[in-house]
Amino acid sequence: MVKRSPLYEVQKKLGARFTEFAGFEMPIQYSSIKDEHLTVRKSVGIFDVSHMSNVWITGEGAEDLISLTTVEDASRIEDKKSQYTALLKEDGTVIDDTIFMHLGDKYMMIPNAGMAEIVTKWLNKKAEEHDVCATAENVSDDYVILAVQGPKSRDTLQKLTKTDLKNIGFFGCQYIDIAGINCIISHTGYTGELGFELQITPTEKAEKVFNKILEAGKEFGIKPIGLGARDTLRLEKGFILAGNEFKGGRTPLEATMSWTINWDHEFIGKDALLKQKEKGDYERLTSMICTDKGIPRAGCEIQKDVKKVGIVTSGTMSPCLNVGIAMGYVHPDYREKENILEILVRDKPVKSRVVRPPIVPKDWICQN
Amino acid sequence: MANEVRNDLKYTEDHEWLKLEGEIAKIGITDHAQSELTDIVFVEFPEIGKQVKKGDELCIVESVKSVSEIYAPVSGKIANINKQLEETPEIINESPYADGWLVEIEVTDKSEVDSLLDADSYKKLI
Repeated sequence: MVKRSPLYEVQKKLGARFTEFAGFEMPIQYSSIKDEHLTVRKSVGIFDVSHMSNVWITGEGAEDLISLTTVEDASRIEDKKSQYTALLKEDGTVIDDTIFMHLGDKYMMIPNAGMAEIVTKWLNKKAEEHDVCATAENVSDDYVILAVQGPKSRDTLQKLTKTDLKNIGFFGCQYIDIAGINCIISHTGYTGELGFELQITPTEKAEKVFNKILEAGKEFGIKPIGLGARDTLRLEKGFILAGNEFKGGRTPLEATMSWTINWDHEFIGKDALLKQKEKGDYERLTSMICTDKGIPRAGCEIQKDVKKVGIVTSGTMSPCLNVGIAMGYVHPDYREKENILEILVRDKPVKSRVVRPPIVPKDWICQN
Repeated sequence: MANEVRNDLKYTEDHEWLKLEGEIAKIGITDHAQSELTDIVFVEFPEIGKQVKKGDELCIVESVKSVSEIYAPVSGKIANINKQLEETPEIINESPYADGWLVEIEVTDKSEVDSLLDADSYKKLI
């Protein structure tokens, strides 16, 4: 059965159009993807991302369980800090990419939409197999997740709390009162802009928080944002979308997530990664900007001189740059910066330049 | 919602409009279609002079997130394309029935035009 966010009715009244995504009926857009996208780049937007999952990891071995099952050594992550990481199978392929938050004696993990049960079962199975005293509990239905993103996100949220948000550093996380409601805040996001994410429970309280944020952001022109703009915003920054970029089984080395790997600890999948690293001949995720007209889409073939060298996993028209942009897996010999490759869009080659992410630079707003 | 339907045009079930002027049929997408697609960012045209049969793929219209095929509502020869849309496809959103037209077809068989929907029938559809 398709699930709906507890904020479904509120969003409907705000003019949302809905789409099904990973078993959830979520807003795809309100005004238009382009308008919402630019609102987040220039000011502030609010997203309901309750389709994402929430898993509590508790017990004296919680830290050990995270270190065992992710590429991160969790002992490095202090209280009130969060970390982006990946869970791997023994063969080194990614089960899911996720953020975990260190909150006192427990951890909250945020797996992707539709991944809650898979990740929870995996964690509990590995805890048992490796004799680690920790438990994972899927509490996704108990939480609404809101993301407030954009250069004016801090100014917006600051009006609703006594806590000085400037004291919450990048990837910091803690309990906080927002509009009189206690929730978990993290200085994280998926847009490449200044931003925060809120975990709200019980879900009945979320509507008040959502409305208060819209009210507080009014002076900055805040808008509700759908999943359409969420996707274009992340793609312009070269952020991975699990359903697209891990499809068919990819390792974090292929997905250019090696910066997240902490090699100094033992974790599931490490041996496979070490072998792959030594071999070195694997395809790697590559960002591209089209220099010809045309919009690449997932599944388009990437060529060099009519020879297949890769495949597009995500593509769109960039609302900021007004040209086609893409991310895809490319053979290691062809992904040097500034290389010109051809992406086949409906059998027509569209010339595209290899770039290193972010595709849209951080100071984009200043140049426009 | 933008759902303007003009009385002087013919329509298809696929949300295209057609206006016959002599032998030439001007073709575009309806106000309803542009509003559903939102933010049109790219149009791929057929070559001028190409022969198309009713139901053939005529154009591709892309929004940020979607790719839509536009089918020929009648058979004939591509007489003209709206070149303005190559640089400013958003005109389709602003003016679907006038400046945002897509192509002109030199019609082979005018009876195909008669079989299209009139404004009232199209209104019932949307």
